[in-house]
Amino acid sequence: MIEIREMSKWYGDFQVLSRIDEVIHRGQTVVVCGPSGSGKSTLLRCINGLEPFQEGEVLVDGVSVSDPSTNLYQLRQKIGMVFQRFELYPHMTALQNITLAPIKVKKKSREEAGKKAMELLARVGIPDKASSFPANLSGGQQQRVAIARALAMEPEVMMFDEPTSALDPEMIKEVLDVMIDLAKGGMTMVVVSHEMGFAREVADEIIFMDEGKIIERGTGEEFFKNPKSERTKDFLSKILI
Amino acid sequence: MFDAVWRNLPYLLAGYWVTVKLTFFALIGGITLGILVGLGRISKRKWIYYTVTFYVNLIRNIPLILVIFWFYFVMPIIVGRPMDPFPSAVISFIIFEATYFGEILRAGYQSVSRDLIQAAYSTGMTYWQTTRYILVPIAFRRMLPSMITQSIVTYQDTSLAFVIGLPELVRRTSIVDGLEVRSIQLFGFVAVVFFITCYLGSIVSRRFEVQKERGF
Repeated sequence: MIEIREMSKWYGDFQVLSRIDEVIHRGQTVVVCGPSGSGKSTLLRCINGLEPFQEGEVLVDGVSVSDPSTNLYQLRQKIGMVFQRFELYPHMTALQNITLAPIKVKKKSREEAGKKAMELLARVGIPDKASSFPANLSGGQQQRVAIARALAMEPEVMMFDEPTSALDPEMIKEVLDVMIDLAKGGMTMVVVSHEMGFAREVADEIIFMDEGKIIERGTGEEFFKNPKSERTKDFLSKILI
Repeated sequence: MFDAVWRNLPYLLAGYWVTVKLTFFALIGGITLGILVGLGRISKRKWIYYTVTFYVNLIRNIPLILVIFWFYFVMPIIVGRPMDPFPSAVISFIIFEATYFGEILRAGYQSVSRDLIQAAYSTGMTYWQTTRYILVPIAFRRMLPSMITQSIVTYQDTSLAFVIGLPELVRRTSIVDGLEVRSIQLFGFVAVVFFITCYLGSIVSRRFEVQKERGF
């Protein structure tokens, strides 16, 4: 589904990603963790072409992201993305946030898009918030609307960029529950997160990144039980209290 | 008590009409040129950015009255013939106000976060769809109060055009005062006219203040 080959990226002289290799198969959930500034978010943005990279290749469904002839707008319809700070459109209701892209990009009718949006709101547990504006929703509710907005385009992959780090502790679970449902329902997911409980439960693979490199990768249990590198051990000891 | 005002009302109102016309053209032109200035200030092309930034910094650090004055005396040299006060004042105002409107537009544009724009792109929306449905509505809503305030300031500042002899309200009042010698009531009348119109404008502006509960 997603193939990253020897991908490197620089901001000026500063190398943010260095020779990233990774294959994510359909239906897999990959959790990416690592200290801040390690390049995790940038990696996600390179996968859907929000950020350019200078070397290597990223293929989504066999289509090269960096190929100038690739229609990135079309490619991004296949890849839903959820952001740390929700990034809902403040001038639109929850329902309008969800239906905008299906109506404008997929040219669905207002009724059809609205019906689908209501289904999605029910799925993320807030069907009663359809006509609320983002500012009147809690963080957890906003993030669930953001997930519904991404799902409305019927993507084949969902990417999450630290989806729970801006949330109050009591709201983290309601968002993670939606994500666990998605993962178990067979969605291909790339999740940047430090929620190790979540990783343990649904991750097919966990990747540890530091200074733009993939330091270690493993399946859930082996990653936690016997991390190979010192840096991974050190990192895990800090986040698993 | 407003006897001198009543006696000269048609003459004064004709002056107020000049004030209104000057404000109208100054705003239409100032906002139009301001859009270009705003775009120039966010341009990635260095030469556009630096040229526009130079223009903005130059004009914003000169008093308006000097721009009006200077332009009135320089234009004849450039055009080769004397220029009437009205077109000269209109052009001065457009050049001056465009820098302020441009900065308001730039700030409104930059208030929309990069991540919000990326969120729109990530749903597959194109550049134009994102600009039309996300960027412009949000930026416009956020800058509207400042735009209204700056328009009120422009309206008040039109009286400065009296220095080049433009017969707007203040200039005409001072001419009437020369004959009637009723300074307090005459200029009091001008103050009342400006106060009422500006106060109404500020009420409109407050109506569009960013509502905290909606956060934008």
